[in-house]
Amino acid sequence: MHETSLVRSLLKQVKQIMMEHSATSVDSITVEIGPLSGVEAELVRDSFWQLISTGNLGQPQLHVHEVDLQIRCRHCEVESSVQRLSLQCPECQSRHIQILRGDEFRLINVSLQVPVPLEGVEK
Amino acid sequence: MKTVETTRQTIVVDRDVLSEKKQRAADLRRRFTERGTLVLNLVSSPGAGKTSLLEATARHWNGTRSMAVLVGDLATERDADRLRPFVPVQQLTTGGACHLELSLVEQGLARLPAGDVEFLFIENIGNLVCPASHDLAEHLRIALLSTTEGDDKPGKYPKMFRTSDALVISKTDLLPYVPFRIDAAVDDARKIQPELKAFGVCSLTGEGVAEWCAFLDAARTAMLSAC
Repeated sequence: MHETSLVRSLLKQVKQIMMEHSATSVDSITVEIGPLSGVEAELVRDSFWQLISTGNLGQPQLHVHEVDLQIRCRHCEVESSVQRLSLQCPECQSRHIQILRGDEFRLINVSLQVPVPLEGVEK
Repeated sequence: MKTVETTRQTIVVDRDVLSEKKQRAADLRRRFTERGTLVLNLVSSPGAGKTSLLEATARHWNGTRSMAVLVGDLATERDADRLRPFVPVQQLTTGGACHLELSLVEQGLARLPAGDVEFLFIENIGNLVCPASHDLAEHLRIALLSTTEGDDKPGKYPKMFRTSDALVISKTDLLPYVPFRIDAAVDDARKIQPELKAFGVCSLTGEGVAEWCAFLDAARTAMLSAC
């Protein structure tokens, strides 16, 4: 199981973003998991809850988007979204395909609590 | 106590969590290319014969090529001990981790004797799942599948075979005794990775080792001519 090490990398990146924006806490973290990412959503959630308690990030929500595989056929050049883990062009059945999206574990966005700029504060 | 007033801000990132590690791996790979070192990441389930293949490779070349090995395991130096009579080798022990990561490879490289080699083999942890997600700066990923494992494995571990460049079917001397068809295994793997090269090898008898070594030489020549 390598999800723990991936979630550790994820939280390190969130911490970096938090510091760059002088945030006081993190409200939510949205990630995307593709079918060919080699990452299991349930194990990511488990690792997240285990690691978040030591991360000093507050109590962020984790949103996991499980996406389809996006492919482009090298033969007929049609782009398709395939729901199952099918590595075949649904148009021409060629297996010579390029994966456009769905083979990664991606950090999509982070919602932070950041200090209100001074000029925005009512006197 | 004065509290800081805050507001919610959403930062769009949309980046692979492994992007920084992949970039480091790509930088290291470029440096290997410039130094003429072809790097191979050997992946398989435990006991498929990765160490035996490296022993057979070293015996076949018999000192005519310079090679070094980084070998990963959860515990013990057993694989490094087997390879030490043949080649410079460093054991990478992960403790409990099920795959090698680039930082472990970098530590192992620092412990290898100084000087460039023509071939650097990284023998990964025996596991057909997690190592598929980690770029170790290799030029080629080589998946081993032994005849005792069954010819139905490629389709069951799609990411590993999708990300591999070559498939070595090992323990071919056992083919008369096991229900394993090389063409079935290769066909199954090529459904996932049509460009996959395939070899049958028996490291004990040496069958197929010359073809495997010729493939390595050709791959290194191609790397050198491309830079």
